[in-house]
Amino acid sequence: MICWSCQKEAGPGAFCIACGAVQPPDEQADLFAVLGLAARYTIDLPTAENAYKELSRQVHPDRFATADPRARRAALARTVQLNQAWRTIKDPIQRAEYLLLRAGIDVGEKKSGAGEDGKGTHKVAAPPAFLLEILELNDELTGARRAGDTVRVAFMVEEMRERARGAMKTIGEALDAGMPGRMEEAGRTLVALRYYQRFLDQAARDGEGGGAG
Amino acid sequence: MGRGAGPADGPGHAMAEALFQIAEPGQSRSKHSCRTRAVGIDLGTTNSLIAIVDAGKPAALADERGEVIVPSVVHYAAGGAVVVGEEARDGLAADFPRDTIASVKRFMGRGPRDAEATRKLTPYQFFHGAGDQSVVRFAVAGGRAVTPMEVSAEILRVLRARAEAALDGPLAGAVITVPAYFDDGQRQATRDAGRLAGLEVLRLLNEPTAAALAYGLDKQAEGTFAVFDLGGGTFDVSILKLENGVFEVKATGGDSALGGDDFDRAIAETLLARTDGADAGDPHVARHALDAARALKERLTTETEAAIDVALSPGRTTKFRLSRDEMESLVTPVLQRCAAPLRRALSDAGVEPGTLSGVILVGGATRMPLVRRFVEKTFGQPPLADIDPDQVVALGAAIQADMLAGGASRDDVLLLDVVPLSLGLETMGGVAEKLIHRNTTVPCGARQTFTTFADNQTGFDLHVVQGERELVSDCRSLARFTLKGIPPMPAGMARLEVTFMVDADGILHVSAREETTGQEAAIQVKPSYGLTDDEVEKMLLDSMAHAEDDVKARLLAEQRVEADGIVAAARAAMRDTPELLEAGEREAIARALDGVEAARAGTDHHAIRAAIEELDHASKPFATRRMNRALEKGFRGHNVDAVDAKLGR
Repeated sequence: MICWSCQKEAGPGAFCIACGAVQPPDEQADLFAVLGLAARYTIDLPTAENAYKELSRQVHPDRFATADPRARRAALARTVQLNQAWRTIKDPIQRAEYLLLRAGIDVGEKKSGAGEDGKGTHKVAAPPAFLLEILELNDELTGARRAGDTVRVAFMVEEMRERARGAMKTIGEALDAGMPGRMEEAGRTLVALRYYQRFLDQAARDGEGGGAG
Repeated sequence: MGRGAGPADGPGHAMAEALFQIAEPGQSRSKHSCRTRAVGIDLGTTNSLIAIVDAGKPAALADERGEVIVPSVVHYAAGGAVVVGEEARDGLAADFPRDTIASVKRFMGRGPRDAEATRKLTPYQFFHGAGDQSVVRFAVAGGRAVTPMEVSAEILRVLRARAEAALDGPLAGAVITVPAYFDDGQRQATRDAGRLAGLEVLRLLNEPTAAALAYGLDKQAEGTFAVFDLGGGTFDVSILKLENGVFEVKATGGDSALGGDDFDRAIAETLLARTDGADAGDPHVARHALDAARALKERLTTETEAAIDVALSPGRTTKFRLSRDEMESLVTPVLQRCAAPLRRALSDAGVEPGTLSGVILVGGATRMPLVRRFVEKTFGQPPLADIDPDQVVALGAAIQADMLAGGASRDDVLLLDVVPLSLGLETMGGVAEKLIHRNTTVPCGARQTFTTFADNQTGFDLHVVQGERELVSDCRSLARFTLKGIPPMPAGMARLEVTFMVDADGILHVSAREETTGQEAAIQVKPSYGLTDDEVEKMLLDSMAHAEDDVKARLLAEQRVEADGIVAAARAAMRDTPELLEAGEREAIARALDGVEAARAGTDHHAIRAAIEELDHASKPFATRRMNRALEKGFRGHNVDAVDAKLGR
């Protein structure tokens, strides 16, 4: 990249190595790399958060409020990217989705992420048998709630939480195993996890004083 | 430009010592070398303030009388003059309710069909003319129709003049605060008001964040705090994490049409309903009833019962009587509206109320005992009360302005704020597709690809909305625009990429592009409830032509009035009690009087001021003797000193 300010080679960082002017981001940059992290599922969140805040201090638009308009635009774009990186990486599900997307596996419900345009990716869908099981569980939950069987409802919710925890663990291990076959497994598990989560959300909504919805 | 004039300030604790100090207009002039020329402005529903950082400490700027607060009331006189502040509120609102706009903030970024413009109990008349009706307009004296942005700009001009006088020159820029829950249209309207007032708006800062910044730096606070901000017209609640100089908003919630004004209205409506034959549709009755309700509410902060005489029509005085219990039962339904946004903010932040390090109160309405009890009950802890709820927002804005203008050495301070309401696009079936979710850290962006639903569709209508509801009709419409020039293709073939970007002010920018052709069509975003750039430009040019003259003319008029008063008083005194004049005094005073009259004939308000001070000085001993004489008559046997002591002075 050539620096917009001094027209010399700017180098790879946020600031030009020649003149120190803030540089616009590489829109294609890997979100882990944006935060200076290795692309792994298992990360140390406090370390990542510190990195995010330290970088924010350097490039936040507040630091460039009275600077050249080009510097302001560059700082704004950098911070937008930085915020997107941290938003994606701090959340376990979004982090997993992003790692899968990097590996060419699209698990749907893509938030604004790697702009791969769907090229070379393939979608993962839940198998029919699994969907049937979830539908049955949903019906059972509704039935138990109607019958006022709070013990049964609580039991079902706890069981589902256990499944969700197990799925999360599987996803993490599969993603960090570094084997293509296990990436597929992570993708399938993530799709399943979404259904577990929806079940739990529904249970929580039903539990909120009934009348509300 | 833009750089602060002074050297970097000392460490943070210097700021802590006198954070809430008020600058004396006289004493501060000498040290403006340590000041940045960037100001912080709290443009409030009821009151507005301006503050600057002076030698590392934020301080609100006062007028000649030491008053820091400018009531947010603007009067439009039939002759074209504009009066802002206390005089408009106390002297003109009662007689000219339609031409005297109070609480204009509630109309910012609003349309004529919005709730605020359709209330029954309102002193205002709204303009229904031909042409663009997207912005609400007040019909005021002289057949004028003014927008909320123009009214707000009048308040900002007064504040700007105050700061320019204090700094002896132009400003480098301003940070203007907005309620955290202000939507995009309300933010744009505030920015436009700043531009109309000739300010370079460096940033719009959320009010709870400003309060947390001032409080956090002053108290060296660390932990997770809630800011409960109930002002005259808006309610905000923000949950912030304060850690190592980082002020991170975790979640915000609120209601941009809920505040002390709603308490007043609830009280006024009940009082009027109890009064036989009161015509609530009469603007005079509405203004008097609302003022009486506010006065009662304020008195009931300390008293348990209060009564007030209200002149609802000429010659007819009604006594409004209210107990604190009664008032509390009237306003409780309004206060209850805080509960849902509060719960949601806490849950969005993932915070249990009991685990907070503290609750910071902001806004005049938090003085009410009822509100304090509500806060204490909700958060399970008494709120922090060692902070002036009227000033803290302006002080925080001044700190931010100072940092933005590069005046401070506080490189460690970082503000991370959020989008208050989700932003999205209308899709098939009137459903709002959210691109950016509420409580996302700003600045932020999002991209979404859409496609055509009809064969050979060459245009794409985009409707940008803001809000949490699923249906577009339940969200706020921000803008509509059309992407044109898509080549004819079968349905579903075109790929339209829409990019949302929210900047550090919380303002949304939208762009769109058709991917298959790589063609970037030009789009124009028309704010649904704001001004177009052209409109702002025109208003700006109009006001620029007059702004300088307006300020000078007003200052000159004020000084002339004051000169007339003091000259008349001095002449009368010399006529009444010539025996109290000592040798040579008559001549000295006469010379000073001539000086005032000569200055008054000119057009320099500084010269008039100086001549008045001269006269004041020359006549002081004489005036003191007159006062002693008067007091002697009243309090036989006491001298002035003794009376002073008695009055506790």
